[in-house]
Amino acid sequence: MKRTKQMLGAVSATALIALSVSPAYAAGTTAGDPIANTVTVDYQVGGFNQTAVQDTDTFTVDRKVDVTVTESGDIGRTAVSPNQTEAVLQFDIQNLSNDVVDLDLSTALAAGNDFTPTNIQIWQDNGDGVFDSATDTLVTYLDEMAEDEIRTVFVTADIPVGANTGDVADITLTADAHAGGTAASLGAELTDTAGANTAGVDTVLADGAGDTDAANAGDFSDTDGFVVTAAAVTVSKTSVIISDPVNGTTNPKAIPGAVVEYCIAVSNGTGAATATGVTVTDNLPVDLEIDDVFGVFIDGTVDGTGACQADGVDNANSNFVDNAPGTQDQVTGTLSDIAADVTRTLYFRATIN
Amino acid sequence: MKTGRIFGIFAVAAALVSSPVSAQAEQQAMVISGDVKVVKTVTADDGTEQTELADTSVVVPGDKLLFRNNYRNQSTEPVENFKLTNPLSSAVVFAEDNDPALEVSVDGGSTWAALAELTVTNEDGTTRAAQAGDVTHLRWTLKMIQPGETGQVTFNAFVR
Repeated sequence: MKRTKQMLGAVSATALIALSVSPAYAAGTTAGDPIANTVTVDYQVGGFNQTAVQDTDTFTVDRKVDVTVTESGDIGRTAVSPNQTEAVLQFDIQNLSNDVVDLDLSTALAAGNDFTPTNIQIWQDNGDGVFDSATDTLVTYLDEMAEDEIRTVFVTADIPVGANTGDVADITLTADAHAGGTAASLGAELTDTAGANTAGVDTVLADGAGDTDAANAGDFSDTDGFVVTAAAVTVSKTSVIISDPVNGTTNPKAIPGAVVEYCIAVSNGTGAATATGVTVTDNLPVDLEIDDVFGVFIDGTVDGTGACQADGVDNANSNFVDNAPGTQDQVTGTLSDIAADVTRTLYFRATIN
Repeated sequence: MKTGRIFGIFAVAAALVSSPVSAQAEQQAMVISGDVKVVKTVTADDGTEQTELADTSVVVPGDKLLFRNNYRNQSTEPVENFKLTNPLSSAVVFAEDNDPALEVSVDGGSTWAALAELTVTNEDGTTRAAQAGDVTHLRWTLKMIQPGETGQVTFNAFVR
């Protein structure tokens, strides 16, 4: 018996290179990394151990381009007011490619919008997740997105003053993958490597289909929108004769000298935005003289018939101007915020000249 | 008696133990060669799905790969206790649809068993059943390979 021991050169020794450790990224193995498969065999001949044999097969991982755009922050259409400036939509954009990419950003108005937002701009968040035009950066593309990196962007727009409650307008944000590698510069658009495999890293577009883009095209889109909730304020003014010089408070008539209580009721409609800064101004007819002893009451309620109830407050921000007879007296008052389905009142008394 | 039989293409003396002088020009009994294919599922015109094997010209994360190891006994002697060890590249993850009887290791080749029999120790000292993603090595053991006999062992893995 003879023991034989020998070494056999690997079939492709140059391929026995150290593998770079692949991070456990969702994006996967970085483009350009080699995958080497090395096998070793041990065996015996005639009961004797033989030297291990190795074989290695190596290939390179290509560039897989995948990107997602997802509405974030306020999910669903964002409530805006007519004439609002820099109304904000928020999106999260993720690079799921196995390579660094630049992402070109563009917006498009969806079809069938009720109104047209103007001054549409794209901002990259500074990391706090809150839009602030002073600290966030106006951008047209996202520079050097690392594998798996997520960035938040804001799309801002101005709302026309003529928009009505319930009007909607949607905006689609599209991120298109361009080659990374050069900071502060948008690289060339990434396209599928045509034809046969090349020795280098090929590009495979493997993105999904978003709202307005096709799958495997290197881009992805998502749509978010605005819905207008305007205040729907209505005003009614009623009057009740409190007393007259002849009948007193029993069945008073509107004769000279009679005291009349005016009730101005301000209502906000169902589903409307809260009305703020509601100021009521009433110029009295010249033949009415304000009852400056009674004063002006605000923020009262109405009864079932819509008449003012005596539950207002004589608030300091209410005012009246008691002019000389022959000149209109004026009453003004600022009501507290009026939410949807709420009625607030302002009431005062005047004497018929 | 097997005298004067020569195995191996060349010998490295420093690695030899009790090596006979005649080992200089020996030929290796076993020849192995391996390749890797990309497993692609294609839908035929009639709607049926078929798998095709493509070369590794375009490989991206998520692709399913078929690793194939071919062996051949080119000697005139039977080969015994043939053991083929295949460390898994860190860039791929062992597929779950491999033969459950495959002998694998989840600890870098120290212990070997079928995947279902292996456990992994967590950082906090507790143990859990090993998953396909834990596999670090594969091994095939064949008792006897006759002269001239050829064979192939395969497994599937996904690109991370």
